[in-house]
Amino acid sequence: MPNVRLKLSNRPENVLLVRQTLSGVGDAIGLDALELNDISTAVSEACNNVAVHAYGGGLGPLEVEIDACADALVVVVRDHGRGIHPEVKASDESGGGIGLPVIRALTEDVEFTALDGGGTEVRMAFATAKAATLVRAGGEEREQPTAIVDDTLANTIAMTIAPTSLARTVLPRVMCALAARAYFSTDRISDTQTLADALVAHTDRSISASHLSVGVSVAPRNLAVCVGPLPPGRASALVLDVDEDSLGPVIRRLIDHHEISPDGSSEMLALHLADPR
Amino acid sequence: MQAGPVAPTSKAPTSARASEDSRPLFIRWQRDGDEAAREELTRRFMPLARGLARRYGHSSEPFEDLVQVAAMGLVKAIDRFDLERGYAFQSYAVPTILGEMRRYFRDSGWAVHVPRGAQERALRVRDAQDRMSNEHGRAPTVGQLAEYLELDTEDVIDALQAIHAYETVSLDAPRPGFGDDETSAYVESIGSHDERYARVEFDVTIASAMRHMPERERQILQMRFVDDLTQTEIAERVGISQMQVSRLLRRSLEQLRALTDAPVGAP
Repeated sequence: MPNVRLKLSNRPENVLLVRQTLSGVGDAIGLDALELNDISTAVSEACNNVAVHAYGGGLGPLEVEIDACADALVVVVRDHGRGIHPEVKASDESGGGIGLPVIRALTEDVEFTALDGGGTEVRMAFATAKAATLVRAGGEEREQPTAIVDDTLANTIAMTIAPTSLARTVLPRVMCALAARAYFSTDRISDTQTLADALVAHTDRSISASHLSVGVSVAPRNLAVCVGPLPPGRASALVLDVDEDSLGPVIRRLIDHHEISPDGSSEMLALHLADPR
Repeated sequence: MQAGPVAPTSKAPTSARASEDSRPLFIRWQRDGDEAAREELTRRFMPLARGLARRYGHSSEPFEDLVQVAAMGLVKAIDRFDLERGYAFQSYAVPTILGEMRRYFRDSGWAVHVPRGAQERALRVRDAQDRMSNEHGRAPTVGQLAEYLELDTEDVIDALQAIHAYETVSLDAPRPGFGDDETSAYVESIGSHDERYARVEFDVTIASAMRHMPERERQILQMRFVDDLTQTEIAERVGISQMQVSRLLRRSLEQLRALTDAPVGAP
């Protein structure tokens, strides 16, 4: 499985989440600003195409995968709609679209694949030796947390991150952007960032798989974050007070409530934050 | 490029329409050396250059400098475009203009300057946040900050992240107020994520460690995590800004963690 897999809707504002994710990966492997800017610009073009063209103005899934090889960072942008290939091609012939020329100019290599059952996959390779620092994660692919998938696509994002240490730079960025989208005030955003830091500090040690699954649902002034898989008992240990005299673990103080749900032999922890003001 | 029908069938971008009837202009400039035709071409395709500058130089400042660079790339493309090869002008101009901007970024040390620009924005965002919190009695949203500072949402989010990372990293040396020398401190903190995260662990029992805290820090921790007050509410009670509360909280948590972690052995 790739280092990062993002499943979200093709809402235009989700392109920002993709960019934040790329920045987080860039931080982790030490991409310089120029490299990151090239990657971010090209990937944004591919995502914008999905936002605008893939579903004829409607909503549909946008999938992004980021994977490190020895000498390149590979980013795949996928839709299951009309596909951006014909659109891009047509607009290129008429001289209109600049998305494709931008992608071509900024990538080492780009492939467009029409998917069975509709949709298009754009596979972009960006040459950078720094990608080698990201250990390719093995392990079997897991399903996304079920608690999150039930929510409507429009307001939910799901991601898997491997190795879990990569979450350190990715998750706080993504959660900050989502807290902003939930109209949180900056002090609640600050709480959200602290929570993200706390979560990644924990999950790094306590995840019971080779990757971290995260689902986030956004509603006005509400954010729900679901993380896992955690070993049995770990979720409640993360949240509950361990000592009457203590200040208590920070996570519990930062959230409004939480739920723990089984996930096979592991468990998922869902944390709810609100900013009622 | 085919001359083709003139009227575009759909709502094609301006630049697309521009390319359809630009062939005579290219001929006038490239064959006859007609400067007026070259100027007209530059004018027509300027939206393309500007659009590329916006896409590629998202956080470049000042933005108009980058537009100038893109315009230079455009002129190069106009001069070198080969009409006879049958491609749309855009497919030649886009890589030429991007190439010009990339070269400019590389030669001007942009990769070094960008973090600095981001730091300056972070300082503006932090100041505005303090000001708005004081004026309205509650912290602003990202949207309000973006509107107030005339930045886009993404810039504000990046700034909040820079502030958060910075406050978390530089806790060994508590800073006095809002000084002028902060920018250099920011520079050093940028990219210190490993250090930052290595030091952020929260699952500690900190009550005993709290006894070693200065009175004010202890009070603020108490208000935030025991009394469950918001940072803004704490700011009002203690008489400091919300951002100062945020800083103090983060510093205190770090100190607590350092105290409680010490026996176990650190990163």
